[in-house]
Amino acid sequence: MADSTRTIAAWEFQAAARSRWVIATALVFAVLCLAVTMLGMRSLREIGLSGVGPASAALINLGILLPGAMGLLLGGNTLVAAREQGVLPMLAVQPVPRTSLVVGPFAGIAGALVVSILFGYGVAAVVLSGIARSSDIGPLLALVGATIAVAVACVAIGVCISSLSRSRLQATSSAISLWFLLALGMDLALVAVAPAMRMGPVGLLVAVLCNPLEAGRVLALLAASPDGTVLGPFGAYLVDTFGTKGSAALLISSILAWVIVPLAVARWVLARSDL
Amino acid sequence: MTTLAVVARDVYKRYGRRAPVLAGVDLEVEAGSIVALAGSNGSGKSTMLRCIAGIARFEGNIEVCGRPTTAGRELRRNIGYLPQSVMLPPHATVFESLAFFARLRGVAPSSTAVPPGFLPDRNARIGTLSGGQRQRLTLAIALLGRPPVVLLDEPVSNLDAAGREAVWATLREVRDDGATVLIASPSPADLAGVGDRTVLLHEGRIVDDSPAVKGADPNG
Repeated sequence: MADSTRTIAAWEFQAAARSRWVIATALVFAVLCLAVTMLGMRSLREIGLSGVGPASAALINLGILLPGAMGLLLGGNTLVAAREQGVLPMLAVQPVPRTSLVVGPFAGIAGALVVSILFGYGVAAVVLSGIARSSDIGPLLALVGATIAVAVACVAIGVCISSLSRSRLQATSSAISLWFLLALGMDLALVAVAPAMRMGPVGLLVAVLCNPLEAGRVLALLAASPDGTVLGPFGAYLVDTFGTKGSAALLISSILAWVIVPLAVARWVLARSDL
Repeated sequence: MTTLAVVARDVYKRYGRRAPVLAGVDLEVEAGSIVALAGSNGSGKSTMLRCIAGIARFEGNIEVCGRPTTAGRELRRNIGYLPQSVMLPPHATVFESLAFFARLRGVAPSSTAVPPGFLPDRNARIGTLSGGQRQRLTLAIALLGRPPVVLLDEPVSNLDAAGREAVWATLREVRDDGATVLIASPSPADLAGVGDRTVLLHEGRIVDDSPAVKGADPNG
């Protein structure tokens, strides 16, 4: 990473870490992680089960959805806010590569979000540590990794939205709309379309790879159940076709593409627009 | 023979299908001079500064210190730029902000051309500063590393009389060191006794180019 990118990333990280909004969302995430973990464990005890598997399953939805929304909103406000506040023009006249103006804010915001996620899961881990078995550590770490990957991809998509937006209001509304589309809209569309189109597992796989939230969720579920049984027939297809490691690599690659492509688009847009 | 710091030839700038903001501007600015770009709101003076700074796309040619605006980092090393309105993060301190931009420019924070006492307390948070104090800070950032060409968009709009005089004294010093200063101002009278030349823009065209700043002499 270029020195200028590191400098801008550190500046953005510091600004995000001092932001009341970021601190508040980190606390909300931590509280929700704690609540979901305790509720998950309580319901398990009531039916006579033990272990952290189902509790971590409850964390998967929270971990994919909330940090995803935070990433989209934080990323969506980077470039457009800097432009509105006159900071982007001041940065743009410094002798730094244009790529630093995109990758620097992305890295800083993503870093702040990763710290928030680790804090939230850290709180949950304290509760889970009393009952966790050594076999639970892998799936839990995979959950943390999948959450971080989804959040980072969402920051990148947010930065791309920011580069295309004319105002913070437009960026925020676009980020929220996209989150609804990724979190709910695509699932609802699949439910409606899949039977009519006789969409097989290949179609479902394409739909999963086109949605970083879904790719992260499947990745975390695959780590919790390496044979894919928790994912039903789709999981069986995935494991049979690509193997567990191959499936994980495919999903990680798709999330990585969701980081690289939006940042490249943002860089391209920035080079062709007035700052 | 005079050296030209800024040369603009037939510069056009248009936003969408609206009338051009800059309509064929030709401008030559000698090195070591202070030039006021005057004109009413919408006359194109801020846009002209942005084109010279290389942060707005345009048709035509602009060279700064002999380099085209497409020269990227090499061009930007020669330019200090202060936008019309800047809001730095409120939680950052004066020194943190100065140090951040100094690091990007590859210079020391102390390399700014402002005199001692010009800046607010280095540990003060930006959120606690007045508009004038923030403007002093952003001017100090624009002057980091003593760039040979300084572009300032209404640099004294939030300053009181003492603040304005401090800015003008600093800019005269910068000019005497050989730098070229272009100042966009809706009221060139504010620059009386400071500028070496006033270029008046109207609807994207230069309509007057005078060797000295017009306006009331503050001493007279």
